[in-house]
Amino acid sequence: MSELDRIIHEPARLRILTILAGVEATDFNFLLNTLGLTKGNLSSHIDRLEKAGYVKVEKSFNGRVPHTEFQITPQGREALENYWKELDRIRNINPQGEDNT
Amino acid sequence: MQKKDNHIADPQEIIQWTRRYARSRTIYFLVQWCLIVFVICIIGLVASLTQQAYVAGNKALFYTSVVFLVIAFFFFMWISVSQWTAELVWQVTQWFYGKEGFVSPDEKKRSKTLPRWVIALIGLMLVYHILAALLISFRYLSLQYLQPFSAVALVPVLCILIYYQDLGFWAWLWPILYGLHAILLLYGFPISFPAPWHLLNIMIPIFGYGFIAILVGHIYSRYALWRLKSITRQGLEEYLDKEQCEGQKDTR
Repeated sequence: MSELDRIIHEPARLRILTILAGVEATDFNFLLNTLGLTKGNLSSHIDRLEKAGYVKVEKSFNGRVPHTEFQITPQGREALENYWKELDRIRNINPQGEDNT
Repeated sequence: MQKKDNHIADPQEIIQWTRRYARSRTIYFLVQWCLIVFVICIIGLVASLTQQAYVAGNKALFYTSVVFLVIAFFFFMWISVSQWTAELVWQVTQWFYGKEGFVSPDEKKRSKTLPRWVIALIGLMLVYHILAALLISFRYLSLQYLQPFSAVALVPVLCILIYYQDLGFWAWLWPILYGLHAILLLYGFPISFPAPWHLLNIMIPIFGYGFIAILVGHIYSRYALWRLKSITRQGLEEYLDKEQCEGQKDTR
């Protein structure tokens, strides 16, 4: 039996990656505002996702204001799809350990 | 295997509401539209001046107003391609949605300026409206048919703009209402302004229906954001509280 991806399995990271899967790019404020996490918490989750290669972080300037954008990578998208497939498979296993699918 | 329930709603639902929210942030298009309407208003006023000059036989005023029509056209082309407009739209968008953060539904919507073929199409639409203004000036076209005449060009251009800029479902209200207004006028429904308010017959449908569609889109974006927040935060707050409590226990 394969393990669920531990990086994605964490609830906040799962939600960050799912939101990013729906759009081309977002910034820190959008994720902060939508998820209601603290800045430090969000930063550490993004950091973990970036290190895993699931999220691309792009820093730029809008005039003098720093702007950080996040995008899901193809690797991140694939990992998310595999995670949901795996979770569905687990949900379909009955208490006797037999796969209902 | 650790089988922790993440209490996450259907992921497809989160993806869908994120997209719906991102696509219905229509205020930036309202800024673009205000600029377009501003030029159309100038053209309408100059056309009215041309007509008055023609009737009065005032050749100097007539040629001057024709020159102004051409200037208005070039002004329109400039505001369509200039960096100044792009910056203005960006600033207004930031002012409106800055607190909510940046979100881009796709690559094409992210580009600050419209592609040339779309600008050319809008230019052609404007030439078509100048032609209509001239036809009215020379009394070849009745002012009451200006809106249906305009709808023939404006409805397909709007459809292309909405499709290209991916403005979302509610933006389609705009060409639908504008087209419907034209059909009702042609069938003689009493929805036109009498003289001397004839010009409102074109100004109100052009601005009003656009404004309604953009506003409905904007209101929908509020709802989409609320839905997105509720489904993404579902179960997350409990988890974070639990995590925080465990963290505090560990530090004791």
